[in-house]
Amino acid sequence: MTPESRLDRVPLPPPDAQRFETVCQFCIVGCGYKVFKWPVGRDGGPEPARNALGADYTKPLPPLGDWISTAMHSVVTERDGRQYNVVITPDKACVVNEGLASVRGGGQAPTLFSPDRPTRARLSTPLIAGGGRHVPVAWDAAVDLGARVIKAVIDRWGPDAVGMKFFDHGGGGGGFEANWAVGRFFFTGVGTKTASIHNRPAYNSEVHAAGDAGLAALTNAYADAELADTILLVGTNAYETQTNYFLVHMVPNLNGSTLARKREVLGGEPVEAGRMIIVDPRRTMTVATAEAAASPARVLHLQIEPGADIALLNAIGRIILDRRWHDVGFIRDHTEWQTFEAYQRSTLAVDRDLTDVVGEAAKMAGVPIAQIYKAAEWIAAPKADGSRRRTLLHYEKGLIWGLKNYENVAAIVDLALLTGNVGKPGTGCSRMGGHQEAYVRPPYPGGRPALNVDEAVRRGEVKCYWVGGCNPILTTLNAEAMEAAFKERGGAVQAVLERTEGRPVGERVARLVEALKQGGMFIIGQDIYMTATARFAHLVLPAAQWGETNLTSINGERRLRLYQRFMDPPGEAIADWEIMARFARRLRALYLEDNNPLMANRFLDFDWRTEEDVFIHARYQFKGDGTDPIEGYAGVTYEMLRRLGTNGIQTPTRIVNKVPVGTVRMHEHGRFSTPSGRARFIPAPRPWPGYAAKVGAQRAQFPFWVNNGRTNHIWQTLYHHQHVPFYNDHNPMPHLEIHPADAATLGVAAGDLVELTNDVGRVRAMAIVTDSVKRGHTFMLFGQPRGAAGALVSDHVDPTTTIPYYKGAWAAIRRIGPQPGVSKTVSFLPQNVAR
Amino acid sequence: MPTRRDFIKIGSTSVAGLVAAQSLPSPPKAGGAGAPRYPVVPVAALKAIGPGATLAFAYPDAESPAVLLRLREPAANGVGPGRDIVAYSTLCTHKGCPVSFKPERKMLICPCHWSTFDPAKAGALIIGQASTQLPQIQLRVTDGVVEAVGVSGLIYGRHTNVA
Repeated sequence: MTPESRLDRVPLPPPDAQRFETVCQFCIVGCGYKVFKWPVGRDGGPEPARNALGADYTKPLPPLGDWISTAMHSVVTERDGRQYNVVITPDKACVVNEGLASVRGGGQAPTLFSPDRPTRARLSTPLIAGGGRHVPVAWDAAVDLGARVIKAVIDRWGPDAVGMKFFDHGGGGGGFEANWAVGRFFFTGVGTKTASIHNRPAYNSEVHAAGDAGLAALTNAYADAELADTILLVGTNAYETQTNYFLVHMVPNLNGSTLARKREVLGGEPVEAGRMIIVDPRRTMTVATAEAAASPARVLHLQIEPGADIALLNAIGRIILDRRWHDVGFIRDHTEWQTFEAYQRSTLAVDRDLTDVVGEAAKMAGVPIAQIYKAAEWIAAPKADGSRRRTLLHYEKGLIWGLKNYENVAAIVDLALLTGNVGKPGTGCSRMGGHQEAYVRPPYPGGRPALNVDEAVRRGEVKCYWVGGCNPILTTLNAEAMEAAFKERGGAVQAVLERTEGRPVGERVARLVEALKQGGMFIIGQDIYMTATARFAHLVLPAAQWGETNLTSINGERRLRLYQRFMDPPGEAIADWEIMARFARRLRALYLEDNNPLMANRFLDFDWRTEEDVFIHARYQFKGDGTDPIEGYAGVTYEMLRRLGTNGIQTPTRIVNKVPVGTVRMHEHGRFSTPSGRARFIPAPRPWPGYAAKVGAQRAQFPFWVNNGRTNHIWQTLYHHQHVPFYNDHNPMPHLEIHPADAATLGVAAGDLVELTNDVGRVRAMAIVTDSVKRGHTFMLFGQPRGAAGALVSDHVDPTTTIPYYKGAWAAIRRIGPQPGVSKTVSFLPQNVAR
Repeated sequence: MPTRRDFIKIGSTSVAGLVAAQSLPSPPKAGGAGAPRYPVVPVAALKAIGPGATLAFAYPDAESPAVLLRLREPAANGVGPGRDIVAYSTLCTHKGCPVSFKPERKMLICPCHWSTFDPAKAGALIIGQASTQLPQIQLRVTDGVVEAVGVSGLIYGRHTNVA
């Protein structure tokens, strides 16, 4: 079959095609999309009146037109067997993307389930592991067995023996509905503390330091990127992974297209085209495109060494303080004064000589001293008329998953407070985000630092482990040890299931409990595909995905939209919230049968009939009085969201005269989420925390730093993209970016298979020879299904937050040999060239 | 070796020749009922296409700008003795801006949102925001003349490459 991207025609939707509005299922930016659906064989025509777009296809469309590429079309088969064309195109009316698609969003149609395309790999029926393989089982039987095992585990070992690892995000595979149902099941129902979030071994914030400072994780509106004098990006590759935030809102600022808007919004203060500072160990496409959009003289790339973020950001802060460029008024009126004093003393080391501090940071970061001074100037030097420079500070995994999570994040939050860059147009201090957000759950019963669930699994304390919508075998730290635990502990349970096939469920559960006593672990996998992790599951539960269920989420500027359902899920797959509800209802019935009303009542109120029932149920977490978290959607209904379309409303909402009113920008009134209402500087206990022993030893032993992250083409673990040739062919296997000089030393050519090994594990990858990385540095995709960087990452976590140092792996590299097959289709031309 | 002047000449004659070619009856392309019928359009004489040549033309009709390239290495679906002659639509499949070939980069670059395409790998997206490859013009050599005979991939702005 010809891949979508090679077809030479696409059907046009007829004027009477069904229309739906949605938001991209992928990254945090959350671009608006329109969906058209019509029966196969009833296509529209090229004349404007004969197609639903009203576009004139009788001649070629002009550039930037409403074009439907072949990647925006698919044919789906509904449960009743009827076939429909589906077209998914970017929405011009959406203020987020203004009609622009990214490489990912523009290719969503081929990710839809279709029985005659590779997405036929979707899970479509519940499965049970028996007889050495997975076999289909009815939902009722699957739920009954799973619920009985969970009950037996709770009754014998207590709720904490039930472990969970689940998505907590928005967008595809998430949403407020799913998150609320999962949270109610595990926290209100089971009552377990043994919980962990999709990409990390615990149930914790990735930005505790921002929270402790009183700052929201997502403070600004995307429009602020159009107004800023300077945009600071730390550890985020925006062109590739927050694409349309960068292209639609940052690039116009860099090239001067937003000057009129700046004059209009910012009154009389001097304005000019924006500047950009990028802190990244790699010369990424973000650096190249920023230079192409602005001029290289207005883009500063600080190509830092690993582990140096804290020293660099604090040195910038120290320069700002010494130059008296800090925002005295903001600090006096809106921060806790004592924390500022402590910050100056411990973090900015005011008792040391400025040149020593900056010199040390430059040495550690491997960047010229002058660049650090220049960064400080671009961030905080007053403008020509003395007005404050407006700087928008952004950070993501390069910082969050760096040397020490808490102090890394504290360093950038402190810099924002020092310069008063929060709560005003053109400013902000926000993480860039990976996935969309939609967090709403009852409170997590555990404390902080959160329990490390990976360790609990390995130690055998988790008797039933439920993994939903994530793939820890691939992506967790020390991934090989996790796989070994799944194999060993799951194997014992698998054997019992095989031996008891066809026996009454009570007997099976009794035998399973015996296996659990001996160190076994019953694994439930809930997903849309048979992932590496789901393969180990004893019960596999098929979930509906984006487009197959209504869901709601927010993007990186807290824009809440309704993502409409437009097609059936495959086979018997159902929405995540409904899976949780079925298990909760069964557990309630089992506890009632057992005359245990106390436990039975923990599973009350799971009688939702629609997605909106769940949405409204969760809404009672929010007050609408200005104290809600960033997700707060008090007063919002599906009907309201339908009316607001792809522009939605920015959370948190406040109820004013019984009407929910959105929030464009957080902290606009100078109030922060602390008891005093003032922001707190987070003083570092020492200028630089150093490497943890395990990490330091690895770094000393192995020559190459293995940085890792996401890339332009690929969404997360390729769960969809491995089934779509256009994307899969781009990254058919893990790749390793390596500097030409290092490649020469190792005798490695582009496309060669190489092996990385260290004290933790090993992984193979395809070499990409590029000067994007410095000598001694390498870069891998973090979650390629054929091999992930997690196999090399030690089990060290920040003891303050239980967040891993995922970016902190060092390894040896050796060449295996050439791969002629791959080299025929994969391009090895540089991926950081824009001119 | 052809000179630069020859390319210019080829460029102008081929566009003129194109109009004529379209009015000529062309053999139906294999592909079954309903498959688009592409015209056969002579682009240039093989011997006039030197290494590194870049030649603008239009295919499958005058409103579809394309470029023929002779790379300095064998290319996917390349024709000629060195399998190094390829041709692509020059409308970026992201938003329809004109891509241009940068010989020193060996890639086609779009100035609007910086999608880049590899002409040696069938128009594969190197990086950028297009969700399909750059449509590759299928070529063949007949009696020493490079002819365009079809397109792999949908050209920007169209719902079908040929009506």
